[in-house]
Amino acid sequence: MSEEMIPLEKTRTSTFTTQMKRSFIIAKKDLKIYYNKPPVLIQGIFFPIILFIAMTVGRNVQPLYLISGLMAMTIFLTSTSIGPIVFPWESMRRTFERLITCPISIKTILLGSVWSSFIYGILFSLIPLILGMIFLSMELTISLAIVILGIIMAGFAFACFGLILSVPSTDTPGNTMIFTILIKFPLIFISPLFMAISSSPLAFISPLTYFIDIVNVGLGDISVFGSFGILLDAGILLAFGFGFLYLSFALHGKTLEKRFRG
Amino acid sequence: MNAIVVENLSKQYTLPKRSKGGGMGTKKTQNTQGNVQAVDSIGFKVKKGEIFGFLGPNGAGKTTTIRMMTGVLKPTAGKIKIFGLDAWKNQIAVKQVIGNVPEMANTYLSFSGWQNLMFIGELYGVSKEERIKRAENLLKRFDLYEKRDVKTKKYSKGMQQRLLLCMALMSNPKILFLDEPTSGLDVQSAKIIKQIIREYNERGVTIFLTTHDMEVANELCHRIAIINHGKIISLDTPDNIKRLIQEHQAIDIYFTNGVKRQDIEKLPTVKEVQEIKNGFRVIIENIHDSICELVEFIKESNATIKNLNTHEPKLEEAFLKIIERGSKNE
Ligand SMILES: Nc1ncnc2c1ncn2[C@@H]1O[C@H](COP(=O)(O)OP(=O)(O)OP(=O)(O)O)[C@@H](O)[C@H]1O
Ligand SMILES: [Mg+2]
Repeated sequence: MSEEMIPLEKTRTSTFTTQMKRSFIIAKKDLKIYYNKPPVLIQGIFFPIILFIAMTVGRNVQPLYLISGLMAMTIFLTSTSIGPIVFPWESMRRTFERLITCPISIKTILLGSVWSSFIYGILFSLIPLILGMIFLSMELTISLAIVILGIIMAGFAFACFGLILSVPSTDTPGNTMIFTILIKFPLIFISPLFMAISSSPLAFISPLTYFIDIVNVGLGDISVFGSFGILLDAGILLAFGFGFLYLSFALHGKTLEKRFRG
Repeated sequence: MNAIVVENLSKQYTLPKRSKGGGMGTKKTQNTQGNVQAVDSIGFKVKKGEIFGFLGPNGAGKTTTIRMMTGVLKPTAGKIKIFGLDAWKNQIAVKQVIGNVPEMANTYLSFSGWQNLMFIGELYGVSKEERIKRAENLLKRFDLYEKRDVKTKKYSKGMQQRLLLCMALMSNPKILFLDEPTSGLDVQSAKIIKQIIREYNERGVTIFLTTHDMEVANELCHRIAIINHGKIISLDTPDNIKRLIQEHQAIDIYFTNGVKRQDIEKLPTVKEVQEIKNGFRVIIENIHDSICELVEFIKESNATIKNLNTHEPKLEEAFLKIIERGSKNE
């Protein structure tokens, strides 16, 4: 008995551009479905506000560091709020198997989470920027292009970072929440938020530091890395982003099987 | 022509250290390393245009097999060809031509029925115009059109399952994989789903389904593979599977006055007598011979029959018998 063959080239479906296009379709779905889920709202909106209040009230913070700190915290927390819950949430709700049997690879789904987290993070980090431009424009000289460069680089890096946070827990968004807090809060606390970037070596582990540096420059300060500092910052953020992305591709490929039980 | 060719297919799950040796119902299939041998070198071919059924008790390996065919899980050994393409290595191309309704799956609850279909259609690269046309037709055919703009969290289980089938059909697949498509559904939904399976099959769609429901398998499938402990123990048409246990026919017989079990057991064509409420179940090989013999016996012993039923072998019984026999031979 013969087999009917499907010529591979005819399906044109595994190409880079088709998969890229499909990752945007997934991003659209992620945004529509997850923007108002409790874990996303708590981590993306509630935490930045609470932390902002806790870290600034009663302290005499310079307007510049107030804005850069708030932006850093917001973009970090919001752009890492959707990515980690997509996989566990879809496993829990039993939509994941249907999704992964669409003509896409797991990388496409992960990229979709990156884009949705990226957009969500950017939208929210614009709020402190706009507030700063309205209320503190007298005290700051803002170079919007530099700030936006920083937002884009950091949004990408943090969105990719978020994917790694959903590796350990397979189908319990609650566990993922706890795990992400355990990782994210220490990172925030070692970052130079609401202050000048000191030479504390610990701060340079945190990707937030490089974003803060860019925004500081964009708001009229100078970079701690000297005259071409912001290029270095952008480069490091990009490297962080691709590093995290690569790592998440590898790790999620391994844990995938555990998401399909019974 | 073959739509699916499976050869020497095996799947072993590696258990995390903590749960090794434990777990529900996994003991039997665990090998010495504590791994679960969910599928154990099976092979079969599904013809193009066929409805092929996979039957087996809980934990037999049905879902694992489907997941390997749909590119979700990587086989530990062996290969699966779907229209000549490797189900794992060419998974994206394979996924493009198949439709899938996974076991106990859900739609996106915060999307409406319509939004779910648009999302899926878009992922398969169906043009917008075509998506709208197909979604309208499918929703009407599945009796969901009125509820198309309602979020699916308001759908009943049967409606969810119908929508999942619509989603699987949005891309006009050549093969449809259905894991327990009618289990736990209301009669109406199960009926629509069965009708539509037949309808799409008549249009040339190959169908691979698993089910616990013997009637579904009997009604729908051209061929059935019975799987237990990860092995295929029988592969045949529903009729032939029934015939396999033809020797296990029975007559239920009820008397008004005391007939002793031992007396019936003595009759030559009787294989076994079981006591049932107010009567006996007589296991026989041939209905005609045994009834003649029973009538003879009744005349001689002056007994009076209250009631007599013959017992057609149901596919369900065939299934249980074959599984029993399979596990004895293991
Ligand atoms: N992700 C997994 N990790 C470890 N073991 C698994 C996993 N999925 C299934 N198993 C085990 O593999 C075996 C086969 O499971 P499978 O789900 O394929 O059976 P099934 O025939 O679909 O059963 P059911 O009728 O209950 O759906 C079972 O022993 C099950 O416990
Ligand atoms: Mg199953």
